[in-house]
Amino acid sequence: MGLITDKLPGYLEHVPGGSILITSIDAIMNHSRANSLWPLAFGTKCCAIEMLMATGAPHQDTSRFGTEVARQTPRQADMMIIAGAIVKKMALRMRLLYEQMAEPRYVIATGSCAISGGPFMYNSYTIVRGADEIVPVDVYVPGCPPRPEAFFWGLLTLQKMIKQGESIRHPDIRKKPVLARLPHGIKSEDIHRQIRELLEQENCVDVVKEARRKIWAAKVDEWIEKTSKKQS
Amino acid sequence: MDRENLEKAVINLEPKACGCAKTDRAAVEVPVEKLIELMRRLKSDDKFAFNMLLDHTAVDRIAEGKFELVYNLYSIVHGHYLMISCSIDRNKPVVPTVSGIWPIAHWQEREVFDLFGVLYDGHTDLRRLFLEDDWNGFPLRKDYSDPDMLTFET
Repeated sequence: MGLITDKLPGYLEHVPGGSILITSIDAIMNHSRANSLWPLAFGTKCCAIEMLMATGAPHQDTSRFGTEVARQTPRQADMMIIAGAIVKKMALRMRLLYEQMAEPRYVIATGSCAISGGPFMYNSYTIVRGADEIVPVDVYVPGCPPRPEAFFWGLLTLQKMIKQGESIRHPDIRKKPVLARLPHGIKSEDIHRQIRELLEQENCVDVVKEARRKIWAAKVDEWIEKTSKKQS
Repeated sequence: MDRENLEKAVINLEPKACGCAKTDRAAVEVPVEKLIELMRRLKSDDKFAFNMLLDHTAVDRIAEGKFELVYNLYSIVHGHYLMISCSIDRNKPVVPTVSGIWPIAHWQEREVFDLFGVLYDGHTDLRRLFLEDDWNGFPLRKDYSDPDMLTFET
């Protein structure tokens, strides 16, 4: 694999038609990477028990998406599922595990604790506010804990990202998919109209009122009063 | 023994102790000087036979300038519970260890030392348990502050 990913692009660029070959190699490699993600279940808290174990169980079966080969060693994994809060003492270990993983490696952060610190964000002496302060995170799955369906949504998003993303020309650059779609029954013209109305409302200015509202207006008044007293 | 009889019997054993009315289970407050003696007798006396230290923890009463140390005892023989509490000065938090009586207290006292900074006189291995060895301060004290901590003000 090292030969293909490291040296092949350099040789093929000079050959006529080589870039087409590289693109098709990209497509094959991304397809196989996306459909054989080997997970490293990094479960530190209740998300791991409620969500991660449920996804592995037969009712919601992760092997439908090709991610069932759970080895509990980072060296045989390329997708890290962070399920649970990360504390200061754990942060070093998590970074170590991430660096031991096989490249290319992907990270999914599930649950509000792994995303931002969640309910432990304030007044906690030990929480790390978000796993993305330690390792780069590709997909966030919100929830407390998320349903297994939500996790599968995150997994499919990651697969989509891998399929359309990396090229062996630039091995570390990923393109995240943009999934935003308008809700049912809303057109883009409606949004434009609403924004226009808001802008018009905001830009309709009463000059005298606006001048009074500023903080400095009161001070200027004071100053004028003082000077007029001195003059009289 | 039920709650009232147990409290009465402990107070008979140690006249300086007094009962607490606010708790759900039998509870007794003791001065620090009498703590070890009372604990030793509570374990060895067949009438009480408290052969299990369920839990040991502390409460930071910063307004009164005191730490309240709480010992939860359980007797497997009789099946009764007892809560012993004793208050110590917050600025000089030294208390004799009970790890000679119940060996599990080694760990529980290390935990209380880790989070509250209570020093146990006679403890053989008083190190931090949960936090890193180079941690500054004791995080469960009410006046603890940390540059990484995000404080929430209501």
